[in-house]
Amino acid sequence: MFLIFPLPALARTLLITCIAIMTLVGIMIRPFKLDEARIALAGAALLLIAGLIPPLDALTTLLQDWNIFLFFLGMMALSALADAAGLFDWLAVQAARLAGGSARRLFFNVFILGSLISMILSNDATALILTPIVYTLVTRLRLPALPFLFACTFIADTASFLLPVSNPINIIVLSTFKLDLWTFLRLLFIPALVVISINMLVFFLLYRRKLRDQFDIKRLTPATEAIRHRAYFRYTCSVLLLVAVAYIVASAAQFPLSIVALAGAALLLIGALRWKQSTVKDISGHISWSIFGFIAGMFIVVRAIEDTHLTAQFGQLLLSLSGGHSFGAVMIGTAGATIGTNLINNVPMAVVLTSALHSTQHAALSTRLGFIAATIFGCDLGPNLTTVGSLATVLWLLILRRRNIEVSGLDYFKVGIIVTPVMLAAGALTIWLLLR
Amino acid sequence: MKVLCCLDGTNSEQISIAVKNMLPANQLTLGLIYVIDSGPHGELERQRERFLRPPALNPQRSQQMQNAETSTAQDILQEGARYLPGAERIQKTGRPEREIVNFAQEWKADLIVIFPRSPRSGGPTIGPKSVGHVARFVLDHAPCPVLLVRQTQ
Repeated sequence: MFLIFPLPALARTLLITCIAIMTLVGIMIRPFKLDEARIALAGAALLLIAGLIPPLDALTTLLQDWNIFLFFLGMMALSALADAAGLFDWLAVQAARLAGGSARRLFFNVFILGSLISMILSNDATALILTPIVYTLVTRLRLPALPFLFACTFIADTASFLLPVSNPINIIVLSTFKLDLWTFLRLLFIPALVVISINMLVFFLLYRRKLRDQFDIKRLTPATEAIRHRAYFRYTCSVLLLVAVAYIVASAAQFPLSIVALAGAALLLIGALRWKQSTVKDISGHISWSIFGFIAGMFIVVRAIEDTHLTAQFGQLLLSLSGGHSFGAVMIGTAGATIGTNLINNVPMAVVLTSALHSTQHAALSTRLGFIAATIFGCDLGPNLTTVGSLATVLWLLILRRRNIEVSGLDYFKVGIIVTPVMLAAGALTIWLLLR
Repeated sequence: MKVLCCLDGTNSEQISIAVKNMLPANQLTLGLIYVIDSGPHGELERQRERFLRPPALNPQRSQQMQNAETSTAQDILQEGARYLPGAERIQKTGRPEREIVNFAQEWKADLIVIFPRSPRSGGPTIGPKSVGHVARFVLDHAPCPVLLVRQTQ
């Protein structure tokens, strides 16, 4: 509309800002239980209909980010196909067997298993596939479920910056800022190990009494029961090993990781069809298609804000708050990413910050790297602060609690608020030390 | 006298000793209740929403979880029945504290026997906070007297 009747720049900026804020607030509070994808798409549609962003610009933005969309697709398909082989169930049973009847050792093994799954198959796989499997396992073993559920939930995010593929957020940031694998590992691998250690240590201290029991190993189902088809299972393990190596090689060569994820998923799908373990329809049912709508909507909204130079000003604000030093960059970047992630969601926050950091191009290299690493770190680890989703959810849970309704989501929040600030501080400090 | 014994998977033996010491078996109508806590399901749903997925798990996984819960509940009730033969076995799903109180009312229990907190909860067994939130809720809302049985080593 305003493409035909051009608006003054100020009115245009105000309109775009209003729509963007409405979209972000909508995502935060989800009115009428609308899902985030519809809200993001509605924001984008409003901008397009009002002519506040040219359709060609919107299309170009989406096409430029093909790697992110395809990575999400490949990642979800890989996890679903590995799950169809019974790989996660098998790994969980092995973790219990290796624990030799000790609840504490099983707790430790769940952390290690969660870290490995997050590292290679992303945090989604740990949080969404491993968690219910571990719940089933500990229910059978008559162990308290909550510490194990918390362990899976937390480690999914805590271990999600070991590699670029460990969290789709990393791909969003790295699609704009092409960090080579060595720089990524130099800045984030050791901090990841530091925060994983802190996470494990604090959890062991918190749950030491709940985990003092032994469990009866006879209650375990045989590991072979988890395997639905022996040949497909072996094939899946081989393909995933290949994918893990390919991820590292592709990251080092700066080859699009989405191609690796999709190729791996295609190979697994061929196996699944060959051994009749899954169908395209089955796998498609495991993919959250609304995520694509959500990301697309957010990309368009943020692209419109970019035109108003608001994100650039936000970037400049971050830069001035940091004092132009690497220490300030890491601390301000981590704090900003964490707060934003808990207010809205880490996907839109990563998109906004990535856009804002464009304007820090003239800063010193260590400052820029500090901001980039802190964005990844804060957006990946930040969700552990509230875990239950966002601060809006926490507030809602607090209201319910005040009305005398038991809500155990608050238990997550209590744990998150204890352990996450420690992890954020230690991780940010380690990143800064590694930047020097 | 109708006595409702609340099992948690660890306390069958001690609850049975307490009940047997209290009254002769012929004067007792016993019920053993075990509640599958629905709380973790809520956590899993919230987790899925955080990752922008529909809250419901896929049916196969959901069934697997349900099977594990049901078979564990049956094992626990069976174990309880070994210590207190002839007792009625009741399996419920929901928030344990609410299910216990509701069933006690429905069953017209004269007494509820419960541990102050499950040994697996990790809390203190004596002193402040030795009564966990399930037992606390039952004490506050039960329609009949409640017997707290302290865990002995």
